[in-house]
Amino acid sequence: MRVTDASLSLRRLCKRYGDLAAVDGFSLEIRRGSIFGLLGPNGAGKTTLIRMLTTLLRPTSGDALVEGFSVTTQGRQVRRLIGVVPQENNLDRYLTARENLVLHARMHGMAPSAYDRRIDELLEMTGLASRQHDFTDTYSGGMQRRLVVARALIHDPRILFLDEPTTGLDPQSRRAVWDHVQSLTAQMTVFLTTHYMDEADTLCDRIVIMDHGRALVDGSAAELKERLAHAHRYELQLKGGGDRYEAVLRGLPFVTELKRDGDLFCVALAGEECLKPLLDAIGNADLKSVSLREPTLEDVFIELTGRAVRE
Amino acid sequence: MLKGPFTVWWRDMIVLRRSFFSELAAVVASPLTFYLAFGFGLKGFIANVDGVPYILFMAPGLITMTAVSAAFSESAWSLWFHRRVQHTIEAYRVTPITVYDIVIGKIISGVTHGTVKGAAVAAIIMMLTTLHLQLASLLAYLPYLLLGSMIFSCVGTICGTVLNKPETIGRVEAVVIMPLIFMSGVFFPVSSYPAAMLPFVRLLPTTAIFEGGRYALLDGTLNAGYVANLAISAVAAFAGAVWVFNRRIEE
Ligand SMILES: Nc1ncnc2c1ncn2[C@@H]1O[C@H](COP(=O)(O)OP(=O)(O)OP(=O)(O)O)[C@@H](O)[C@H]1O
Ligand SMILES: [Mg+2]
Repeated sequence: MRVTDASLSLRRLCKRYGDLAAVDGFSLEIRRGSIFGLLGPNGAGKTTLIRMLTTLLRPTSGDALVEGFSVTTQGRQVRRLIGVVPQENNLDRYLTARENLVLHARMHGMAPSAYDRRIDELLEMTGLASRQHDFTDTYSGGMQRRLVVARALIHDPRILFLDEPTTGLDPQSRRAVWDHVQSLTAQMTVFLTTHYMDEADTLCDRIVIMDHGRALVDGSAAELKERLAHAHRYELQLKGGGDRYEAVLRGLPFVTELKRDGDLFCVALAGEECLKPLLDAIGNADLKSVSLREPTLEDVFIELTGRAVRE
Repeated sequence: MLKGPFTVWWRDMIVLRRSFFSELAAVVASPLTFYLAFGFGLKGFIANVDGVPYILFMAPGLITMTAVSAAFSESAWSLWFHRRVQHTIEAYRVTPITVYDIVIGKIISGVTHGTVKGAAVAAIIMMLTTLHLQLASLLAYLPYLLLGSMIFSCVGTICGTVLNKPETIGRVEAVVIMPLIFMSGVFFPVSSYPAAMLPFVRLLPTTAIFEGGRYALLDGTLNAGYVANLAISAVAAFAGAVWVFNRRIEE
């Protein structure tokens, strides 16, 4: 990638809290106009990373360039160019929704002639126009979230940071946010974190899965799934006799994983060549169908970060 | 250059304007209670103080007390609330606004609260009694009002920045701020202190605020020593508040 194509460039970025490396030597280049998705279990370091990129947190070491400006030494220039949707809503409950937006516009040095129309548009887009003169603490969680997204867009940022933007939204609003994010990339780069695999799959051009402060994999959704293609997962639908066949399948040395739902089995095999012995062992009598199971992004995620729930 | 602080202040003024009249009763309740209890209730028991009827003697102190404690509370509680509860400070900090803009804007808001609330109490006391102030007295009082509110606003800013628990802020108010105000000449002349303590008491910025403010309001005189003391204290408190806020916020 040419240097000038990179909207965001992370250079061995680190943040330590005592012995804990919350972000541990992250290096990354993100292409202008792309939608970048950062995935990882709770406590992986996603929010810490975003807080450093948005100048809220000073890195312990390393640096990052936002459109060429350093987050450690040129914070003010960086902040002109970014829009931020933090993980926790931080609206002012003593101001109305519209006043919240106006305050933000003024902090970006915008004049009323510039922000009034823009705010009308954004309120329309987020479906909040009719409630714009209400105080934000009378809003539902999802409405507050949409208002925070609107606030981040007022000043037409070049890079938009979204930390779990759709958590707590209903399916309609989630889709509305997706559509909007997709329509933005003509002018801006989007950096988002999410726990929704379908969201990352539909939206992101590129995904990094991180854990314990480090990047584990990097690529498009298709590329990440490709990594698991070697796992050889098949679905077997039987006509009956599930219990009997479960015992048979468990006895086969080359079946590395087995999940059962009634007469539907999902098996992972040690290799492609094991498919024939598998079918021989089951026989034709009760077999209804066999199909190759495409790995999902969630399979990749679990494979890389393990099954254990984080503290 | 002041556009940043002005924007932060602008937000606080929207909120003040909306809440002013509902807040007014709470603001004037305690100074007015003191005024009626001591001024009228104890009327027969207290003679003139420093050659002035007691009810007049304590009026300036009550006005000043309202102003400086309002400046302190506004700054302390507002910073704590925006930092710990609403996290609005972080919303400000991802815009081109600087940390200095935020703290300066917040201090100006504290001074505004102090001045406006002090003026409200002054207006009510003037309606109730014979304290009829000349323009000269008011002008002489202005530096005390502004510098006093400024000092207390800066101290409040420091408290709201370093203290994370609301009950600690409440304790500082009860154990440090209120005693300091009461012992600095709201209800008695500092000349009542033992002679050995007097030189120290006179050096306190709070003495300068209350004694100096009273001379200004009752006689229309400006005490150069007191004003100088306040100016120096205000500059020091401002520098301290900005430094503390900057260090604490930029983790
Ligand atoms: N101020 C802090 N002091 C000490 N440790 C911290 C601090 N902030 C974050 N951490 C630690 O850093 C690690 C990363 O936290 P972070 O909030 O970045 O995770 P995350 O990936 O955003 O998680 P989630 O999905 O739950 O939002 C966690 O182990 C957390 O406990
Ligand atoms: Mg997080």
